[in-house]
Amino acid sequence: MVKVYSFEACPWCNKVKKYLDSKGVEYEVRDIELNEDYAKECLQISGDTMVPVTTIDGKNFVLGFDKEKIDALIA
Amino acid sequence: MAKEKIHKDIVIIGAGMAGLTAAMYAGRMNLDTLVLENGLVGGQIANATGIENYPGFISVKGSDLIGTLQKQAENFGAVIDEFDTIQKVTLRENPKIIETEEKIYLADVVIIASGMNRRKLPLAEEKKFAGRGVHYCELCDGHMYQNKIIAVMGGGNAALDAANFLTKYTDKLYLIHRSNFRADEVTQQKVRQNPKIEIMLQTEITALHGDKKLENIDILDKNSGVTKSIAVDGIFVNIGVVPNTDLFKDELKLSESGRIIAGENCKTEIEGVFAAGDVREKEIRQLTTAAADGTTAALLAEKLLRNFRG
Repeated sequence: MVKVYSFEACPWCNKVKKYLDSKGVEYEVRDIELNEDYAKECLQISGDTMVPVTTIDGKNFVLGFDKEKIDALIA
Repeated sequence: MAKEKIHKDIVIIGAGMAGLTAAMYAGRMNLDTLVLENGLVGGQIANATGIENYPGFISVKGSDLIGTLQKQAENFGAVIDEFDTIQKVTLRENPKIIETEEKIYLADVVIIASGMNRRKLPLAEEKKFAGRGVHYCELCDGHMYQNKIIAVMGGGNAALDAANFLTKYTDKLYLIHRSNFRADEVTQQKVRQNPKIEIMLQTEITALHGDKKLENIDILDKNSGVTKSIAVDGIFVNIGVVPNTDLFKDELKLSESGRIIAGENCKTEIEGVFAAGDVREKEIRQLTTAAADGTTAALLAEKLLRNFRG
């Protein structure tokens, strides 16, 4: 299952979610504002202090909105 | 496989205030309208936390304003594609050709409303710390700096608004600008009255330090010539914008600042090509003038098409 570390007001997060919707990909939203554990996980995965982070296995991830990389991740 | 060719009455490049306003008008005139946007729908105001100078609103979030405008445009039949990316434009032919990653659009009229991008921090260490202490989207990344020390760099309205917004996460924020503020008086008053913000004018950031992420910055006091190092976890850079005109530089005249030269009627030197919003060279660049440009461009585009088709 694809996981998107994000929060509601984040415009790039919303763009990633819309893109996954457009591809018919199911995903789990991990809201870093509502859940502090998700914020910590997100930081551990990417090492970067930014969202969105999109991942399946918690190891390979895409930072921000990068269509090509997201396509590769969900292929 | 060859790309599909699709004809459109109007292709609008950019879905900020100017582009979406043009799309709303064009859609309402029953023109087959496509908007291409490869960044954020809403452009620069997608990140705006509170807009207080758009008529009809005491204060409105950029995302709310743009969300409504997007719905208006779509309700009138305009299609917005925010996932395809333009590779090449040919504007001197009729129809004009816009080639994207996935398709080739043939357009009778093109309205360029590609707006501006934020200027990057001009320091060699920027790449090392991008996303690890150097940020360009306070709305997206501010949350990661709960109770950390933040700096905002810049002196315009956007920078000061960002500083005020970020104090919801921190009690210590440096607002650093190389000269005096350019922001309007109301916005300046808000930061001056915010006890969490330490204002540092006539000050430049000269270096960034840290192992894996940002830890310290060097700042030069331009009055005294003294450089000191301060502990900062994250910098949000708001030092102006650059016009998004790379795609058009071979076909259209650009001003010294890189904006498209077009009159108040938004007409460029090429018939059927309009420039609207902040990407057009003009003296005043506001949301209201972007909306005005979008209106003008769409109405004159429709008139041109009507004359052309008889």
